[in-house]
Formats: sequence, structure tokens, C-alpha cells
Amino acid sequence: MTDIDHNIPAALPAVNNSELRAKRQGFGRFNLEVRQHASAWYQVVALAGGVGAGLFIAALILVASGVGFSDLANEFIFSIFSTPRSLSDVLTQAAPLLIVGLAAAVAFRVRFWNIGIEGQMILGSIAATGVAIGNIGPAPLRVATMFIAAALGGMLWMLIPALLRIRHGVNEIISTLLLNYVAFNLLLHLLYGSWKDPKSGFPNSEQYEAVERLATVGWESLTYALPLALILTAVIWWLLNVSRYGYFTRVVQANPRMAAAMGLPVIAVTMGAALLSGALAGVAGFAISAGVEYRMTQGFFVGYGFSGILIAFLARNNPLGAVLVALCVATLFIASQSLQVFYQIPGSVVQLVQAVVVICVAASEFFIRYRIRRIHRGS
Amino acid sequence: MVDFFINWAANVPAFAVPFALAALGLIVTEKSGVLSLGAEGYLLMGALAAAGASVVIGDHSLVAFAVGALAAAALSLVFALMAVTLRANQVVAGLVMVFLAQGLTGLIGTQQGWTNRPIAGLDRIPLGPLADIPVLGPILFRQDMLVYLTLPIFFAVAYLLSHTMVGLRLRAVGDAPEAADAAGTSVTIYRYGAIIAGAAIVGLAGAYLSVGVAKMWVEGMSGGRGWIAVALVIFARWQPWRALAGAVLFGGIEALIPRVAAVGLQVPQYFMLMAPYIVTLAVMVYANLNKSTERRFDEPRGLGQPYLREERR
Repeated sequence: MTDIDHNIPAALPAVNNSELRAKRQGFGRFNLEVRQHASAWYQVVALAGGVGAGLFIAALILVASGVGFSDLANEFIFSIFSTPRSLSDVLTQAAPLLIVGLAAAVAFRVRFWNIGIEGQMILGSIAATGVAIGNIGPAPLRVATMFIAAALGGMLWMLIPALLRIRHGVNEIISTLLLNYVAFNLLLHLLYGSWKDPKSGFPNSEQYEAVERLATVGWESLTYALPLALILTAVIWWLLNVSRYGYFTRVVQANPRMAAAMGLPVIAVTMGAALLSGALAGVAGFAISAGVEYRMTQGFFVGYGFSGILIAFLARNNPLGAVLVALCVATLFIASQSLQVFYQIPGSVVQLVQAVVVICVAASEFFIRYRIRRIHRGS
Repeated sequence: MVDFFINWAANVPAFAVPFALAALGLIVTEKSGVLSLGAEGYLLMGALAAAGASVVIGDHSLVAFAVGALAAAALSLVFALMAVTLRANQVVAGLVMVFLAQGLTGLIGTQQGWTNRPIAGLDRIPLGPLADIPVLGPILFRQDMLVYLTLPIFFAVAYLLSHTMVGLRLRAVGDAPEAADAAGTSVTIYRYGAIIAGAAIVGLAGAYLSVGVAKMWVEGMSGGRGWIAVALVIFARWQPWRALAGAVLFGGIEALIPRVAAVGLQVPQYFMLMAPYIVTLAVMVYANLNKSTERRFDEPRGLGQPYLREERR
């Protein structure tokens, strides 16, 4: 053995191995290590840092597009929480956002990428509006009928991508997304066709009658959409964190192959979560049409798909966390409405702010998962 | 009937080019093992930047295309940072790019007042005597510059991917990053390069949408074509020439939509507009039929997985 060892330096050129290795590392002379454990406090600080950095960059973008810094603070903080009226606007806005956040969280819990929330919202609202226009069911139960119809509508729309994935292996990211465009054209077909408002001739459905609307709770203009969203949150929390089904979803999320090897009904668990996600998105469409706008409009769903994903992402698929994030996103929505009116900032800025926050949070997760170590020479 | 056919076929290339280039750009990126869902975002960015350049500096189409490609490439740096350096989930990173681009292009375009500003754009260039050949002339040889350029671009990229060392290393990084790394190929550099180059090609497709076809810019003008391109890549099994064939199929369908009503067929307008998306779904089902073991190897094996040398796998 010693002979061979002795021969090696003659055969190989003399290279300082550690230096060469260090040079080839993606980070120069730095090394990435996977953290075995990150404390809860560290995680919270990193997450908060990510959100804070994202909001700061978003604020810079808004200032660069002509909104004064003090005006920005004014719009976002003081004017929204100063009057009961604007506070009720935020809470009203939070209800559908919370529901789409739940829809995304349920699907992501089984690694089903539901990017088609907007399409399912459209189908939910179409089903609810169909019940309203056709005066189906007894009047006292009309809203309940619309609610069930909306859930079924969203669920049936989700059945297509769910079946396509299970039967034909079609990637659900693409199928759910493409179905958004199909649903949107179906909506336009109805609104420019047989469901056009007969009174005004505008391309939206006729106004819902009083029995077809979610009632107001008796404070400002707040409707029962918010209590509905909170009840759904509690139910989904129980389902995901307490029930046996929730345990199954956690195993499937952690490792689908192992779940199958253990004998869990992986396909049924995945299908169930996907269909529930579609149903929730349909209910979100109903919450907007019957609880905010009192008719089906052309663009009621715009921006909710991404917001749902963002809410689930930031809340780590936790329904209770989604309540907090949904409130923040609702504030953003309402603030952007006044930015639109007073500063001519287009509505798409909501997407921009949310995207910047997600990017910064993704960056902060890097610091939770990895540790950067400096490599010392010769070690 | 012949007139209808010629008229339709002559319009197919203009509709096919955005799909073809977008799919090609995605193939370049995904061959390196990075799942790229941000195509829709790069299309939007390329369309806005090219239209903006045309408004600001006047009608220099070549400059506009270069600006479109560069803007998309610059935007893709954010994606590369997330997907390669920060090892973020590539699905999330890709989706975020779409929404970032939607917000950014909406904000910039509206603030600069570029909406609906007419652009001179690209002219059709008849290729001398070839353009006078009956039937084939109008279909193939009376097109604009980018249609003619698309084939050379495809040749160049296909050659680069399958006949050069750079292409070999790129595919190695996509198929087995740890092996490529052990062989001394930098996974980080190749993935950054593939993301930026791929985004530039998609940006070119976006520039063609605004400067080449619509000859103006409106918010959200790509209308889901980026997602169709993502599906097209799967259908094409990551092979450039199959992607081109698929793009011609989709271009043909899109070119047919405004012509169906003209022939007197009574299909409701909005159902016609659904057609490209429904056909895409059908194509996705077809692509997954008879999925033999041989076909499964067409997908880059490292697709969607961040690579970290120190991680146990």
C-alpha cells in the first residue's frame, strides 16, 4: 500500500486541492450547508424580514411611479383604519380572499397545484347566478341554494383537471390554468348573450333580488360573507389539523410514494382535496357576487387566483394564518383602489406588490433552509 | 374555397411564430433542468419593451426586437436568482414571474401612456420571384422578417443543443446535475445561461406579438399564449422540431378563428375563442397516451429539482 501512495504525487500534477475545490464552488469560497434545525424564532424573524423587505421594495416602486411617501403611509394606514366605513370595506374584501386562500391551501396540502382558482370562481358564480335568475328553490332558502350550487359548480370545474391528472397524467398546473381562459369565455358568452342585464343592457347579470343576497350583519355594509368565511376557516382547520383525513394529507404532502407504500388511499386523498379546493373557490365566487356586488360582473374574479396562492404560501397552508394574511391582502386591495382613483396607478400594481413580497419571502426561506459557511484555506 | 385556404394558410406563420419561439426558449431553459413556468411573463415583458422602444425611438423594428429580448432576459435574472441561487421551489418562482410581469408591464405601460399607440411594425417582404409562385408564393414567401428568421433560429438552437459541447454540457446539467458537477461543469453557470438565453428567445416572441402582429400594445396582450407554449413543450417532448410542428398546429387554429364566421358557420364567438385552450388540453392528453418507458426519458431527468452539491439525495 505504501508503494502506491508514494507513486501518486509523481503521476498527478501538484494541485492545491482545497483551493481548486473552493474556486469551483458556485459561491466562490463560500459553501452552502443544509440546516438540520431552525428554531421557531429564527423562522419567524426570517419570514418577517422577507415580508418587510418585500413591502419596502414595493413602496419604493410606488414612490418611483409618483405617489408621495407620506401619501402612501396615509393611504395604507390612517385612512383605512380611521373610519368604520373603510374598515368595513377591508373586512368585506377579506372574506372572498380568505376563502380563495383556503382553496389554495387545501390543494397545496396534497401537492396539487390549483392555479385555476379564478376559473372555479367563475363557474361558482355562474351556478349561483343561474339559481338566482331561474328563481330555483323556495325563496327563504334561495341564498343557501345558491351557496350549494356555487360549491358544486366550482367542484365540477375542478373535476376536469383532477380526472385528467389521474386518468391521463396531465399536469394540473397547465390544465387548471388553461381552464381559466375557457371559463372566462363562457362567462362572456353568458353576459353578452342570454344573461345580459335586461334593464340597462350592460354586459353583467341583472341585479340579485333581496332574497338572493347575503344579509348584512347590521354594522356598516358588512355582510354575512365574512362570518361564512370564518366558519369555513374553522371547518378547514379542523379537517386539515385534527381529522384523520388531515393526517393523511400531511403524509401525502411529505412523501406521496411512501404514503402509497403504507397503503394510504393516495388517489382518493388527492382527489378529495382537489375537489374541495374547487368547491371553496366556487364559494368565493358566490361570496363576491351575492355578498359584495349583488350581480355577476365581467371581472369580479380578477387577481384572486394569485392572491389565493400568495395567502396559502405566506400562511404555510395553515387556515388560521390565512386569516391574518387575507386581512393584509384585503388592505392592499382597498388601498390600491384609492391609489387608482387619486394617483392613476393601474390596478395591476396589486399583483406587482404581491409578487415582490413572494420573491422576498422565497429569499428569506433560503436563509431558513441553508447556512452559508466560509471555507477556510487548507481545511 | 381555394382563396379561403390560401388566405388562411398565408396567415398561419404570423400566428405560429410566437408559439414556436416561446416553446423554443422554454426548451433551452428546461433542457438545463429548470422548470420554466414564467413564459407568459417573458412574453408580456418582451411585448411591452418592444412596443415602448418603437414609441420612444421611432420605427426601427430590429432595435425594438432586441430591446424586447433584452428586457425579458433582464427580468429572467430575478427568476434565475430564485430558482438557481436561492434554490426556491421552481413552480412558485415561475408563477411569481408571470404575476410580477403582469404588474410591472401594466404599471409601466399605463404610466408611460403606451396603450393603443399605433406602431408601424413589420412589413411583409415578398421574396422576389418566389413570391409569384401560385399558391405557395403567398403562403411561404410573402411573410415578414421574423417569420423568415424563425427557421434559422431553430436550426441554430437545435444544432447548439445536440451537436456542440455547450449543448452537451447543458443537457448533462439538466439530466444529471451531480454527474455534470463531478465532471467539472458548473451547474450554476449553465443554468443561469439557459434561463437568460431562453427568456431572451421568449421575449423575442413577445416582441413579435406587439410589434409584428398587433402593431400596438395593450395590457395583458399575450392572452395565455405562454401557457400554451408550456404545454407545447411537453407535447413536443423537449424536441425543437416537434415544437415547431406543434406551433404550426396552434397557429393554424388561431388563424382559423376569425375566418370561421366569415364562411358563414354559426359557432358562437366566445366558444371559438375557447378553441386554442381546449385543443391544448386535448393535445396534453394525447401526449400522455401510450406513455412508454422510452418516451418518459425525453423529459430532462433533473427537471424542477434545485441542485445543491451538499444536499443528500
